[in-house]
Amino acid sequence: QISVTMDNKALSYLLQCWQKFRPSWDNPMQFVLACVSYAVGLGNVWRFPYLCQMHGGGGFMIPYLIMLFVEGIPLFYMELAIGQKMRLGSIGAWSAISPYLGGLGIASVVTSLYLCLYYNVINAWSFWYLFHSFQAVLPWSDCPVNSNRTAYLEECEVATPTQYFFFRETLNISSSIDENGGVHMGLALCLLLAWLIVYLFIVKGVKSTGKVVYFTATFPYVVLIIYLIRGVTLHGALNGVKYMFTPKMEQLANPQTWINAATQIFFSLGLGFGSLIAFASYNHHNNNFENQAITVSLINSGTSIFASIVTFSIYGFKATFNYESCLERMRLLLMNTFELAEDTVHIDNISFWITDLNRTQPEQIAAIASRIETCSLEAELDTAVEGTGLAFIVYSEAIKNMPAAQLWSVLYFFMLLLLGMGSMLGNVTAIITPLRDFKVLAHSLSNETLNGLVCLFCLLLGFGFTTRSGNYWFTMFNEYGATFSLLFIVLLEIVTVSYIYGLKRFEKDIEDMLGRRPNWYWKIMWVAVSPLLLISLFVFYILNYIQGGAPTYQAWDKDVVREELTQIRLGLRSDSEISCVNLCAYSHIEMTVTRKSIFFDLQL
Amino acid sequence: MWTVWTVWMVWMVCLVPTTSEALCTEDDGYKVRLSIKTALGGDAYEWNESEMFFFKATLAFAMRTYSGGEQYDVSNILVCDETLRVSFVFVVTKPSNTSELVPRTEVENAIKKSRHRINSAFLLTDQTLDFVGINPTLAAPIQYDTPPWLIAFGVVMGLVCAGIVALLVSTFLNKKRSKKSADEEEAGRGNGILCESIRGKDGLFNQGLVDDDRLTKL
Repeated sequence: QISVTMDNKALSYLLQCWQKFRPSWDNPMQFVLACVSYAVGLGNVWRFPYLCQMHGGGGFMIPYLIMLFVEGIPLFYMELAIGQKMRLGSIGAWSAISPYLGGLGIASVVTSLYLCLYYNVINAWSFWYLFHSFQAVLPWSDCPVNSNRTAYLEECEVATPTQYFFFRETLNISSSIDENGGVHMGLALCLLLAWLIVYLFIVKGVKSTGKVVYFTATFPYVVLIIYLIRGVTLHGALNGVKYMFTPKMEQLANPQTWINAATQIFFSLGLGFGSLIAFASYNHHNNNFENQAITVSLINSGTSIFASIVTFSIYGFKATFNYESCLERMRLLLMNTFELAEDTVHIDNISFWITDLNRTQPEQIAAIASRIETCSLEAELDTAVEGTGLAFIVYSEAIKNMPAAQLWSVLYFFMLLLLGMGSMLGNVTAIITPLRDFKVLAHSLSNETLNGLVCLFCLLLGFGFTTRSGNYWFTMFNEYGATFSLLFIVLLEIVTVSYIYGLKRFEKDIEDMLGRRPNWYWKIMWVAVSPLLLISLFVFYILNYIQGGAPTYQAWDKDVVREELTQIRLGLRSDSEISCVNLCAYSHIEMTVTRKSIFFDLQL
Repeated sequence: MWTVWTVWMVWMVCLVPTTSEALCTEDDGYKVRLSIKTALGGDAYEWNESEMFFFKATLAFAMRTYSGGEQYDVSNILVCDETLRVSFVFVVTKPSNTSELVPRTEVENAIKKSRHRINSAFLLTDQTLDFVGINPTLAAPIQYDTPPWLIAFGVVMGLVCAGIVALLVSTFLNKKRSKKSADEEEAGRGNGILCESIRGKDGLFNQGLVDDDRLTKL
């Protein structure tokens, strides 16, 4: 290495020149809103309420909050620190920390690329539903009729209209991942629109992103508040909210609860993708990211809890509606079979009537026994759904029963779009920031062209998800594509920062930026607690994978009209990112042996 | 024997008026169920003789409409098995011969044709005025010239494309303008020249390897 000595004035002048070339946020608020927009995404709306329901309602808050303070905030703080200090995207930043770890940055970029490919498909679905809400009658409220108008289509009769609309009309789903089918033109158009909007938001890099996040970060909260008010005033909403908040403390003894809490915090904050490093790299050197890290993490968790109140009031409404429909059906059945007058049978005294009739006319009761259903509100509330099923099927079903359904539908899908778009901004920034750091690309292509090429590339590959088997590919990517590699990436990150780079150097860097050293709490978390937690999560995932056998997915069986578990013969290799880390470390060793490394060189 | 014959005659005389009721069976006619209170709630009307007369008249109307003018009358509609549920069975006799029944299929078609009128007469719907065995014809799906979703899509797409074009054009114009002013600045040789020349060189500042000890203290 060649060392250069220079005086104060020349050094500060050089630093100023260099800082001029990197664009930055107009003000710190834009950075905070960008992080909020990225972290607060669809997972807050459709994953957290499900976990809450599965793991004992109000009791789930305890592991969730513990994991937030022990794992979430320290790791978030660390990523922001690295980005702000190195002022480079993930590849450059990790190469700068240790030349052997350039692969870590590449792994982050590849993971972000996978995410970009399939995540925007959800936005395409949201657009599809949004545009279909501009009709007098919502298309998922009724089944379509058959050709001679005598009955509804059979597939729709057996399933529900909302399921039919999602699986048949939106996805036109095939029976297995092997049957490709053609591209669904409507969805392809919506995907094109989604990518054009992403391009519009990031075309000028952080200058355009910074303005967009004012809207994408704040408007979802407006919609959530409106929905909260609408939700709690719905009939039966309080059943759902009571159900959610009733803690079932025995769930805390279940280790799965703690694992799910840790995983949820981890993925919800978007650690390991390189987006946080990319966002922070556009900060000024002395930006107070410590307070910002705590603020954004707390806002993210708060939004999850807030969104789950909304979700549970909607659940309560839907469950009560189904329960009362069930009772109404039973009432009609009794009235019609036994020719009872209308005002003698109410939904309150159905069970009384059944026991009475069982005594007096048991043969007739036996004759209709197959059609008698036991209506239970608890059973309706217990049906927990997560993911796209919750967002596109359960919610649409609840919305179609609300008065002024079109308005609520438009509002809801617009909110989903904003949440999805906000997260996409982070995902795409995580790819283009490291690419721009390569001087070759930066000089030959302008900002707009590079961003356009990245979007075009992702769009073309994304068309694969709009085919008839696209949903199965989506499920594959969602469940197996990023989870495992992210754990590996973040584990490596924290081990690198704490042990390879050295905690002392890291502390000094932070002091340099903030003017004070991080206190003992952060240090204990970075050095001991978070790595241990991540290692145990990692080990758990490996064990689960080994025990689980061949990976499976739910396939839509057209004849049975239900999702059935199917094994896949193709595998998605999530170790592709891990191999990046190894490959790059190896190639660097070769290069240092054969070449002198000069102080000003960017190390690949 | 004369007493036996008288008893038999009396019995036959008593039986004759009931033959009309013998015509009214569910196999030859249709069962009807009305759920008035479910449909109308507080505004529900009482089911009584007048309402039954109205119903018979409506059915007669339906038969007249279907048969193209044959003089069906209220007396041609026979009703039996009335229950508190408000359900009953009816059959339709031919106007020409009151002991002959109109076939079931004809009755069904007649009702299907005028179903909407019958429902409206009683302020009920297909579900609350139930003819057991006659499935309601479902409403035809609304046909649009252009699907409405495509219109909404077109609007948003147009706005987005306009936005992108506007941004790209403004960037291009800005670059041209700044290039012109940079050419003018060359003559002046301002302070920025050192920064520009550094920018042209290979390499990037690698702050990670900045080793404080090798530089003089700030």
